[in-house]
Amino acid sequence: MSAVAENQTQEMFRLIVEAAPNAIVVTNRQRMITLINRRTEELFGYSRAELVGQPTEILVPMQFRKAHPAHVDGFFTAPEPRAIAAGRELVGRRKDGTEVAIEIGLTPLPTSDGLFTLASILDITERKRNEDELRRSNAELEQFAYIASHDLQEPLRMVASYTELLGQRYRGKLDEKADKYIFYAVDGAKRMQALVADLLAFSRVGSQGRPLVPVESEAVVNSVVDMLRGPIRKANATIEISALPAVLADEGQLRQLFQNLIGNALKFRADADPIIGVRAARHGERWLFCVEDNGIGIDMQYGERIFQMFQRLHERGKYEGSGIGLAIVKRIVERHGGTIWLESKLGLGTSFFFSLPSIGAKNPS
Amino acid sequence: MIRPIRVLLVEDNPGDADLTRDTLESGAQAFEIAVAVDGEEAIEYLLRRGRHTAAPRPDLVLLDLNLPRLHGVEVLAEIKQDDLLRAIPVVVFTSSDAEQDVLQSYQRGANGYVTKAGDLGAFVAKVQAIERFWFTVVTLP
Repeated sequence: MSAVAENQTQEMFRLIVEAAPNAIVVTNRQRMITLINRRTEELFGYSRAELVGQPTEILVPMQFRKAHPAHVDGFFTAPEPRAIAAGRELVGRRKDGTEVAIEIGLTPLPTSDGLFTLASILDITERKRNEDELRRSNAELEQFAYIASHDLQEPLRMVASYTELLGQRYRGKLDEKADKYIFYAVDGAKRMQALVADLLAFSRVGSQGRPLVPVESEAVVNSVVDMLRGPIRKANATIEISALPAVLADEGQLRQLFQNLIGNALKFRADADPIIGVRAARHGERWLFCVEDNGIGIDMQYGERIFQMFQRLHERGKYEGSGIGLAIVKRIVERHGGTIWLESKLGLGTSFFFSLPSIGAKNPS
Repeated sequence: MIRPIRVLLVEDNPGDADLTRDTLESGAQAFEIAVAVDGEEAIEYLLRRGRHTAAPRPDLVLLDLNLPRLHGVEVLAEIKQDDLLRAIPVVVFTSSDAEQDVLQSYQRGANGYVTKAGDLGAFVAKVQAIERFWFTVVTLP
């Protein structure tokens, strides 16, 4: 390449770095800043001259400065490209001392002058504000659903009780039509009571949840099985529980989760005696649980729908329940930072899979 | 018992008051049921004040919690802090199943806590159970 062409290429790269939408900071092995772009000046409020030649700690808030060199050394001993803020929010420090929410991607730059680091810094203030706003409005919505369903119970109980009383005291005393009208009113009120109670139970998952603490999941499953021993005996079911781990959970919600899943396995059983298995396997920071049965199975085209509120795949009367059980299970799993899905074959059985954080998990939810 | 059983029903919902009264009166025992529609009236009745100067002492108080003006828990506290009233059994009868309400009620000396949740059958069964326990099983002062 001619000297002119090389100069042009260099100029091109300089302009690209300069025009990049992210703040770019290049540092050497001694953690000295060697190059920044315009966006860095804007983001941190320093001029180029004030930053170049300074240690990177100048951009780190005081409370993190002490630990910073160790982090950087850690990066240089294993210099893989990575986002050091993956799943974690970092803060940077501006010249005026204020802090700014940032996300940093680090890339090693091996050159003939030694190893440099390219830090690409994104201002996530706006994103964080949106996330906070979403969290707040979700919490408000949950609180609203909780209060609404709670306060609806009392007047609804009046409607249900008195239409039923009317039915009891005046059956056959008015005319056939009146009896039928009363029956519809009683039936409707009772179903609405069931729905409101379910809605309340669902909204409690978010609004009345407790902090996640270490819980022995095996003890929880055993107590659920003990509580369900009536239906288990009636169905002539076998429950096979493998060794289960301790997890980070809200114990009451964990109990409800297993109660709903094992309860469903008992309810949707096939002709053969039910065999229900509960097991878990370690996956990184989380445990993957499986509750499997040999029941009637679910057509996989409904695999997503059954987790929605009040979705039932069977007509009323065949199986009891309003279709809230799996919606609550999903909500509980999500509150524990996990996802839930199922694998099923019609007539052969269903396996529900979900993950829960292990005791040492850094980001449980 | 020669005289009828006296129950003070502290209840602001006339529907619940009627249903409770109906259920008690349809049993085998004779009842004399007074209704106080809020917490303040309950206290006046028990202390024989205002328009309740001739009120008889109840054998049992059935106490709702969500009451206008004076909350049920405060009524309970007043009863249990009064040397003369303390011996009257108070059964909380409410639609609240909040842990906080249950705990507070027992801490302030409630003799029982019964929730109203459920359908007509469950409601009637609960009132009948209260009647059976308090007026045939236990010995009252």
